[in-house]
Amino acid sequence: MTAAATAAGPASRRSPARLGAGAIVCLVLALFPVVITDPASTSIAFYALVFMVAASSWNIFSGYTGYLALGHAVFFGSGGYALSLLCSHLGVGGGWPSFLLLPLCGVIAALIAVPVGLVALRTRRHTFVVVTIAIFFIFQLAATNVGFTGGTSGLFLPLAPWTGSSFNTPFYYVALAVLVVTVGCSWFVRRSRFGLQLLAVRDDEDRALGLGVKTWRLKLSAFMLSAFFVGMIGGLYFDFIGQVYPQTAFDPLFDLSIALMAFFGGMGTIAGPLLGAAVLESLQQYVTFTFSNAAIYLIAYGVLFLVVILLMPRGVVPAVTDYLNRRRTRATATGGPPERLAGVAQVTP
Amino acid sequence: MTNLIEVSAVVKSYGGIRALNSCDLEVREGEINGLIGPNGSGKTTLFNVITGYERAQAGRIALRGGDITNSSPDRVFGLGIGRTFQLTRMFPRLTVLENMLVATQRQEGWLRSITRLAGSDSERSRALELLEFVGITRLAHEPAANLSYGQRKLLELASLLVADPDILLLDEPAGGVNPTLINHLADRIQELNAQGKTILVVEHNMEFVMGICSRITVLSQGSTLVAGAPAEVRTNPAVLEAYLGADEHEPAGGGAATVAVISEPPRTSREPVAAAAAPDAAAAAASSGEPLLRLAGVCAGYGGADILKDVSIEVARGGITCVVGPNGAGKSTVMKTISGLLRPRAGEIRFRGELVSGLAPKQVLSRGIAQIPQAHSLFPDMTVQENVEMGAYSVHDGALTRKRLAAVQELYPIVRDRAHDKAGSLSGGQQRLVEFARCLMLDPELIMLDEPSMGLDPQTRAMVFEMVAEMNRQGRTILLVEQNARAGLRLSTHGVVLENGRVRLTGSGHEVLTHPEIGALYLGGAVAAATA
Repeated sequence: MTAAATAAGPASRRSPARLGAGAIVCLVLALFPVVITDPASTSIAFYALVFMVAASSWNIFSGYTGYLALGHAVFFGSGGYALSLLCSHLGVGGGWPSFLLLPLCGVIAALIAVPVGLVALRTRRHTFVVVTIAIFFIFQLAATNVGFTGGTSGLFLPLAPWTGSSFNTPFYYVALAVLVVTVGCSWFVRRSRFGLQLLAVRDDEDRALGLGVKTWRLKLSAFMLSAFFVGMIGGLYFDFIGQVYPQTAFDPLFDLSIALMAFFGGMGTIAGPLLGAAVLESLQQYVTFTFSNAAIYLIAYGVLFLVVILLMPRGVVPAVTDYLNRRRTRATATGGPPERLAGVAQVTP
Repeated sequence: MTNLIEVSAVVKSYGGIRALNSCDLEVREGEINGLIGPNGSGKTTLFNVITGYERAQAGRIALRGGDITNSSPDRVFGLGIGRTFQLTRMFPRLTVLENMLVATQRQEGWLRSITRLAGSDSERSRALELLEFVGITRLAHEPAANLSYGQRKLLELASLLVADPDILLLDEPAGGVNPTLINHLADRIQELNAQGKTILVVEHNMEFVMGICSRITVLSQGSTLVAGAPAEVRTNPAVLEAYLGADEHEPAGGGAATVAVISEPPRTSREPVAAAAAPDAAAAAASSGEPLLRLAGVCAGYGGADILKDVSIEVARGGITCVVGPNGAGKSTVMKTISGLLRPRAGEIRFRGELVSGLAPKQVLSRGIAQIPQAHSLFPDMTVQENVEMGAYSVHDGALTRKRLAAVQELYPIVRDRAHDKAGSLSGGQQRLVEFARCLMLDPELIMLDEPSMGLDPQTRAMVFEMVAEMNRQGRTILLVEQNARAGLRLSTHGVVLENGRVRLTGSGHEVLTHPEIGALYLGGAVAAATA
């Protein structure tokens, strides 16, 4: 089967190997803070989960539609500000009570995505990229200058009641829960006709329009969905940090990072952004935690990224899937049991 | 029979060119209506306007009496009008089956439209049924990118049918498709019609159109020429005229009256080779010598089947050679092959005896072969002067550039008068002149013109042809591709008729023009008798 098959993100192939691998990953993620309790490691793991959620939800919009959004920090930061403001106005304390407000942060981010989308989605391709960047800077500027965001020093979030090595654990599990929902949602989208139409927009938007696809509201829906999860995880992230201010809330590096993570793993696939975020974010955090001279290792990080993209231009996951498919096809061709054709996409879940 | 679609007085212009000029069209319930007309007559534009891809500037489009003018494409589809594209479009990275599941069902709310799974069992079986109907079931799980051109056409058609539209607008379903598949397509279209679908089909393959259509509408220069039964249309002299170009009953060069302003142009910097010679004299001079350009046994195509099959053409020095032939005959491909945009698969091309096939376009250009492509080749947002100067991009001699600029300004006063206007603001004919001027900046020996008269009204066309003759009188050899066969051949010293990638006739312009077979080539077999 050719490259194109996997690029489309072939739907479920429920081989036992896949299910097994998935189960092992889930188990490792679930038991991680139980086994490894050292706070430095658990916070690295927490950051990795945050970026897995962010990259995965970025992928729901950008990966599926091919519209490169480089302004998702708008939703990340808005989630943080929203949580801080909600907590102080509603008198909600840190820890679990504040976690309950996270879905609301997501809703607020999704609502912010409406005007942003109405402006940005008028454009296509590189214009779209530039517009999302421009909108991002408007938010950064606004956060510094508008009254209720606390200016450059930003806002504080209520401190969680936990101390010591147990502090990270609840954050970790909440992030994991958000991740499960995000990935579940991404998976469902990929199998829904909604997702199929998003992929159709990626391939030929005008043709999709001619098949009755209401591309405008389709893209906006995906954009809002994407913003929802980023807003939620943004709330959690800044809850963990304890403070939100313009430079961290609206950080251009965040925009680039999640896009690069998705590229690294494979845009438009479900596993790709997860893999990219897990590898790149833990690596980066590890390097920053461990070495005082981070610059050299950041260069190494850049080199790793470049090498992967040069060797596997579509990302790790599509490249590996291709390789496995080719091997399987060869095995079938050389007298193996006439299994199902490799790369066959089944659309039913 | 009621009118399902009614298009009245629709106007659509691009810059100075009127693609649709008060165009009318009726599509009756249950018919297969063939929409034909020469290149640039506005067929695809009409499709685009009906289906909402382009906005009409005036006029009205009605579906069952209800106004649908300038509705969005998704709405038009929702109302039951499905269309295919001339250059087949599908979703290459989705599988064939996934392609079939993209279309939105009619009357479906927002929540339903985003929460439903891709393909319920019934939808999937319906999709497979339709793939069976067009005959590509075995490819259901292939990525659409792997399909051949013909298979893509079938997929494009099938993917429309999923939503069960009442009306199908098919843009050149048989274009670039092999004969077996053409028959298959014709059967499918007729069967769909028998199932109650109304079909409007744009097609250049006359046999195909005459075979399946119950009614034919002929477009010419953006408006409806005639509509009627195939037999009526074939024998209608106006139709043949539209295809072959208006017969102005004027001697060659008779357009001079309309172009008095530009007659008697001063010499350009070029050697006055045969400047004063009439075309006939030039031909006589040319026929004696070695041809300037010679194509021998050229085969070329775009990856799929060859478009040009063993084409041999000679372009006489100092003459005007005109290549005519129906759409899809390979005329533009001949030009692309000469200019180096397309590398021939076999055969050779020699210019002044020197091999030029296989050279890069830039190298071909530097040998003295310049091409003026089919309409719209100016940079619309640049000024007229900038556009003309772009022609001398590869000339690195400032003084020479200025000298040539002054010369073309003399020849084409518009280059001076409107030097600082944006090229996009000029009319179609004016744009052509600027294109000519730009080409002359290189001082080429051979000028290739691709459909210079396309989209122009008769008066402007006469002026453009006169300018072509003028360039020739100044000693430049011209290779002309022209849809307007009569006007093109009358102007020319030599004529070449291409059909389906092969040279069918060669001779002097006059011989080809008066050859009895030429009508048949354009409108299908039976016409020859009617017009002879």
